[in-house]
Amino acid sequence: MNGTYDVVIIGGGMSGMMAAVALADMGRKVAVVSRGDPVCCLSTGCIDVLAAGNDPLEGIGSLPDNHPYRLVGEDTLKASLEMFRTVMSEERGAYVGDVHANRRILTPLGRHKITCLVPVTMEFADFHSDEYIHVISFNEMKDFYPNYITSRYKNSGCSIFDAGVSTTMSIAERFENRQFLEEFISWLKGLDIPEGRIAIPAVLGMHFAVNVYNEISAELGRKVFEIPTLPPSMPGLRLFDGLKNALLKRGVNLYWGKEIYSVEKSGSQIEAVTLAGAGRSARVQGNAFILATGSFVSGGLHASMDAATETAFDLPVYLPGKRESWFNDDFFAPGHAIEKSGICVDQSFRPVDSRIENLFVCGSILAFSEVMKYGCGHGMAIATGVAAANVCGELA
Amino acid sequence: MNLDFQHCIRCTICVANCPVSRVNPDFPGPKQAGPDAERFRSDDETSIDKWIRLCSQCKRCEVSCPYGVNPAQIILREQVQYGGKHFRPLASRVFANNYWLGAVNSVIAPIVNRLAPMKLTKRILNVFGISTYLPFPRFHIHTLSRSWRWKGHRKSRKKVVFFYGCFLNYNRPDLGRDVRDFLASLGVRVIMPRQVCCGLPALGNGDIETARKFARKNARILAGYIDRGYDVIYTCTSCGLALTQDYPGILEVPHGRKVSENSYNLHEYVLKLMEEHYIEPVFEPFHRRVAYHIPCHLRALGIGYPAAGLFEKIPGLEVVILEDNCCGLSGSYGFKRSNEDTAVRLGITAARAIKDIDPDMLVSDCGACRMQLAHFSGIPAVDPSEILIKSLKEGLKGSRFQGGKN
Ligand SMILES: Cc1cc2nc3c(=O)[nH]c(=O)nc-3n(C[C@H](O)[C@H](O)[C@H](O)COP(=O)(O)OP(=O)(O)OC[C@H]3O[C@@H](n4cnc5c(N)ncnc54)[C@H](O)[C@@H]3O)c2cc1C
Ligand code: SF4
Ligand code: SF4
Ligand code: SF4
Repeated sequence: MNGTYDVVIIGGGMSGMMAAVALADMGRKVAVVSRGDPVCCLSTGCIDVLAAGNDPLEGIGSLPDNHPYRLVGEDTLKASLEMFRTVMSEERGAYVGDVHANRRILTPLGRHKITCLVPVTMEFADFHSDEYIHVISFNEMKDFYPNYITSRYKNSGCSIFDAGVSTTMSIAERFENRQFLEEFISWLKGLDIPEGRIAIPAVLGMHFAVNVYNEISAELGRKVFEIPTLPPSMPGLRLFDGLKNALLKRGVNLYWGKEIYSVEKSGSQIEAVTLAGAGRSARVQGNAFILATGSFVSGGLHASMDAATETAFDLPVYLPGKRESWFNDDFFAPGHAIEKSGICVDQSFRPVDSRIENLFVCGSILAFSEVMKYGCGHGMAIATGVAAANVCGELA
Repeated sequence: MNLDFQHCIRCTICVANCPVSRVNPDFPGPKQAGPDAERFRSDDETSIDKWIRLCSQCKRCEVSCPYGVNPAQIILREQVQYGGKHFRPLASRVFANNYWLGAVNSVIAPIVNRLAPMKLTKRILNVFGISTYLPFPRFHIHTLSRSWRWKGHRKSRKKVVFFYGCFLNYNRPDLGRDVRDFLASLGVRVIMPRQVCCGLPALGNGDIETARKFARKNARILAGYIDRGYDVIYTCTSCGLALTQDYPGILEVPHGRKVSENSYNLHEYVLKLMEEHYIEPVFEPFHRRVAYHIPCHLRALGIGYPAAGLFEKIPGLEVVILEDNCCGLSGSYGFKRSNEDTAVRLGITAARAIKDIDPDMLVSDCGACRMQLAHFSGIPAVDPSEILIKSLKEGLKGSRFQGGKN
């Protein structure tokens, strides 16, 4: 279907979706074009803002000058995270946390991960190591080994429930069935766990997870929390579904499963993109465009042996020197130089050296974002998405 | 052999989107059934993966994969392989030929409509592997293939062939005629030439030969009209997917590409007429809160949600779009006893999401979705065009449209 929009966003990840929410709320007519589902589906669902230090906002001051956060400004960062929370609570996926305080969640390996905003189902995941933790798992559940966790905490125990199914998706589906939920709760009560908190892998339902979680907590009268799993990750999916539904509610048109086939330009303006697919190719026209296609994992950037390209508009890509310098010898070392690569932008989020005036770039495709090194994944995507939308909204 | 499967990075995004593997542990899901298993398959070996049939071809995996792998297509090819080499159960044979079934049923409609709800009939159907949890759709004697074949002014600048599909033809011919008359009222010349089933049910039941036979016939007829300046209009989103994706794709029919490039969803076409200022309709208010269940195959078409674009213009109409659930019926899939449990579980989940927003009615472009979801939610279901036609019936009289003037 052809269409004419104020703003066309390429890439339906955290950044593109938040830009879409912001623009729709400004009254703009918006379309999102995405090749597929974004990496937030694979994430813990928690919003990392900046992992270093206790106060992420304070830490931003000490980031290198070219880090994308430095373009955003504290007010916009705070406002964008607040906007995110409002949207998610309207979509049955409330988040808790304080922008000024990092918190910890428990990982399936029994370690802690530092993050900032968390879904309510993980509100109590930050516990003191003296406190008793009872880990629940499911019979033959794939990729979840409670012993990893209990081996790290002296004061812990573990019980296994037989759900009749063993994958993350199928157990989560069962939890939305009343009878299953009641059986689970009465089994849990029967365990007579004497004290402390109850940790359950993140399979407590799909769309109605918050209801399921609240009911379990209330029935047990205890602090319960979810542990994010390896993908498929329910909290990541709930986050994605929540934002996508927020877009639909705002009349944003989605062209999903579609890739850009060609771009029409006139002078310094992009006029339209044509989408590839079976049948007639759709022509999507816009006054302004936002590029939010993510980094290498999502396909926004593509690397060959010694070069990198940007897949939608063929923008120039910044690379940190020659291939030899891209990677650190220690795989687990924080920050490989290749993480710096991406699109360089000016103060108004326009790509430099491209001479296009109505294109704005946001999210992990931005050069120097170094998401892994700084632990700023979703937070940076949200903040730059909303900031780029603010500039773009004035124009479109 | 198609090598797209090599692009798979095993991210599991498709797995998260697969409705079937979520409720049926016997189906390993799109990643394993698609790209993972593909590396062990060869073109000249018989598949032994019995579970391959459990995929409903909802295409959700295809829409979600960020790396262009298209597991649904890999699985479909394997289903066809499997179907060609193994005995197909009676239920599959019946549904592959649902076109003839519909044709016969409509001739003897009064008898069929009375027999279908009877206990004995149900028991017999069950023995043959056909599920009866849903009330069977009613059949009509006055099918579309027996209706007036053209409507609208001969000299209209806009001309379309209406590909109405089996569901409208046999089960809702009244709606088919309304759509025809509606298009004519927009100043469009409408032709409903003789046509057969799009072929999707045959393909979905592993019978590619029958599917190809149907597709060839349709493509020849449609291409003839396209050459004379007609566009093709469909309302059923699964027919639409067959015309645009499978005719030039797996079915490889002559003129497939031409048909694919010239087919429009009805609502997409109406929006196009508006964009071109061919019509400037006034939308009359329709005061309802509706849940719009997006059929999986509308998502797979990748044309956005055109009916939603029209709903926005209808005063008083409050629309909540629901696209996270598959209704579970997937055409004839859920009518097979072996899939009944899957279909029922998915149907209940999708219906719960609908009931949760407490709508006056539910809307869906797919006849199967409507049957399934009306059954599980108890909420009446309509096609989006029914609302559109209602809103524009009056609005067209007062509007300015140039259709047919030159
Ligand atoms: C496995 C994993 C786990 C993570 N976990 C966390 C976590 O727990 N917390 C956290 O805060 N951060 C996490 N991160 C980081 C975080 O997910 C990302 O930095 C952030 O979500 C990036 O968002 P984005 O909008 O920039 O891009 P993406 O989410 O990558 O979205 C890009 C979208 O664009 C589409 N696209 C790509 N190319 C094209 C094209 N040419 N045309 C059209 N569409 C295209 C893609 O399909 C995709 O949907 C994780 C990252 C990974 C890889
Ligand atoms: S087929 Fe696509 S979505 Fe599925 S695991 Fe492979 S890359 Fe991921
Ligand atoms: S087409 Fe649907 S049922 Fe089949 S594997 Fe893909 S998502 Fe699952
Ligand atoms: S009948 Fe509709 S929702 Fe149901 S499977 Fe088909 S396309 Fe999906």
